[in-house]
Amino acid sequence: MKAILILITVSFLSGLIFAQDLTGLEVIQKVYNRPMGNDMTGNLTMTIENSRGNQRIREIRQFVKDFGDSEKKIMFFVSPADVKNTSFMTWSYDDASQNDDQWIYLPALKKVKRISSDSKSDYFMGSDFTYDDLGDRHPTEDTHRILREEVVDGKQTIVVESIPKDEDYMYTRTVTWVVKDSWIGLKKEFYDEDEELLKILTVNAQISIGDIIILTNMKMTNVQRTQFTIMEFSDVEINTGISDNKFTERIMKRGL
Amino acid sequence: MKRFMMKSIVLLAIGAAVQAQSLEINGYVRTYLGVLTNDNYDYSINQATLDLKLKRTADKVSFFANPYIYQYPNQEPELGLREAYLDVYFDRMDLRLGKQQIIWGKADGVFITDIVSPKDLGEFLLRDFDEIRTGVTSLKANYYLGDHTIEVVWIPTFTPTIMPDETSIWSRLPSFPLPVTIDESQKGIPERLENSEGFIKYSGMSSLLDFELMAGTMWDDDPTMHISPVGESGDSLLLTPRHHQLTLAGGSFSSELGGFILRGEGAYYMGKRFAANNSSGLPLELIEKDYAHYLVGTDFSIGTTRLSAQYIQRAILDYNDAIVQEELDNTMTFLANRTFLKETLTLQLFGYVGLNNKDALIRPSLTYDLADGFEILAGANIFVKNEDSQDPGLFGHYDDNDMVYVKVKYSF
Repeated sequence: MKAILILITVSFLSGLIFAQDLTGLEVIQKVYNRPMGNDMTGNLTMTIENSRGNQRIREIRQFVKDFGDSEKKIMFFVSPADVKNTSFMTWSYDDASQNDDQWIYLPALKKVKRISSDSKSDYFMGSDFTYDDLGDRHPTEDTHRILREEVVDGKQTIVVESIPKDEDYMYTRTVTWVVKDSWIGLKKEFYDEDEELLKILTVNAQISIGDIIILTNMKMTNVQRTQFTIMEFSDVEINTGISDNKFTERIMKRGL
Repeated sequence: MKRFMMKSIVLLAIGAAVQAQSLEINGYVRTYLGVLTNDNYDYSINQATLDLKLKRTADKVSFFANPYIYQYPNQEPELGLREAYLDVYFDRMDLRLGKQQIIWGKADGVFITDIVSPKDLGEFLLRDFDEIRTGVTSLKANYYLGDHTIEVVWIPTFTPTIMPDETSIWSRLPSFPLPVTIDESQKGIPERLENSEGFIKYSGMSSLLDFELMAGTMWDDDPTMHISPVGESGDSLLLTPRHHQLTLAGGSFSSELGGFILRGEGAYYMGKRFAANNSSGLPLELIEKDYAHYLVGTDFSIGTTRLSAQYIQRAILDYNDAIVQEELDNTMTFLANRTFLKETLTLQLFGYVGLNNKDALIRPSLTYDLADGFEILAGANIFVKNEDSQDPGLFGHYDDNDMVYVKVKYSF
């Protein structure tokens, strides 16, 4: 009994010490600034299952490169056949006040079109991930506070609540379970405009390449519609020295 | 001969697939049935399509071919090559040789600087994007400097707009008060070096702005009707369609401002011949004038509905009152698009509105993705004519061609 009391006390104290050491913003900044390498290449498979159990699969090959104050990403759609050779490019910026730039190349149109980055609440390719869920939301866009610490899947996590400063944002709040030390968001809950739980994101697999951790299997479950999307990354390569010229209109049109 | 060609294409595809594992074969099969909403419910179209896309890429070279077959009931198959070209890639330069579709500009559904590839108007403006343009046999060179590109196109042989034949519901011959004879003997352009077409474009892409600047010397894709009275009494008319050379320069841009994509495009055309009335009030004269064609447009979203609108104006400069066409021609386009059921159901409304004659083409459609790559599209094409206007306008002219249609398409 005494031992349990000591354990509870130590645990409580460590939480207090931790809470004193880091603010919610600092925890989320650590997640945001987690090392990702200078560039990354990989294949993304999305399995989208609706409430009737029907599955659709989307395959994408993507390239990402850090340019210092910006990050450029280009995605090539591999399947299904009717979207094959469509490409999508995003330039996002560390400066939270600067909107992303986005372009899409549709093979039937044979031209690259600039599209608005304002539609971040749109769902990506019919999945349960919005464009904003997939992007790196800048920590300064939300107000963060630490709720508690919890053990999830045997890992010690800090539970952080984030409330968007923009009242019109699609979520009224999110709650993230951040693994201590590795600074991975292991689980995240999204609450809708009625403050009801809408979606749960869980990380089911990860790999380490050097000191870089890559989340290779994530599941987004829409609990209100009982449907989900699984994103799996494969053939992931880090720091292969992708050319700057990969992220251009030329390559969007040429394809893989 | 056509059967031989069809067999050859199929054999080529199968043979290539067997022999070359790196050959990519994609395409689609589609059935397309359109019914006019007239008293008889005539079919406007009943077409089956096989469209193949063959591609092979090596390190520095690739080839692409896009053969297609249109099959109409009780007719021989219609075979064609939409594109067939070779690519050669260098460090900073790409070369593309062969039959290719070249698409320029930032406008949607409007052709201002997008005039390198002529149009196939066999079904007016109703065909899909990749079917409404015809490939041109040409050499295209692109030189890249980061996000800036210089593109040069040389087209050795002129290819005109494909017009609907005289029996088609899309045929649009001008009406005259006298009997008319058409002489097509001067329509062709001799195939020689001096008659080739050339275009150049400088384009750039940046966070702030995407832009294109272009210029070209070309043959007018649409023929000019030379009209002359026939006989001593002049009681009939001879129509002689001829293509004339045009020179143009223009540009386009696209940028984002507060969630709105702003687009603009414009071109200045030199040397266009316009039909004009003579002293008897007959449109037998031609007057050469320059004209400007330009557009502003925006794309934005309200919730999950994507919206787009464009305003287009064509202005004849140094206008002469004898010219049949109005000095200013104004058109608008609009688009609303929304998806449902995890992007498997798409509701769309697209339309052209002629502001001069208050005519319009309204195109509602509903697309359902039954399975990956398998879609069913149901839609309508509604032509609106202003009964109070003397000139029915480009869209009002087809007031009798209102239709509903279904397309079933499987992409592989």
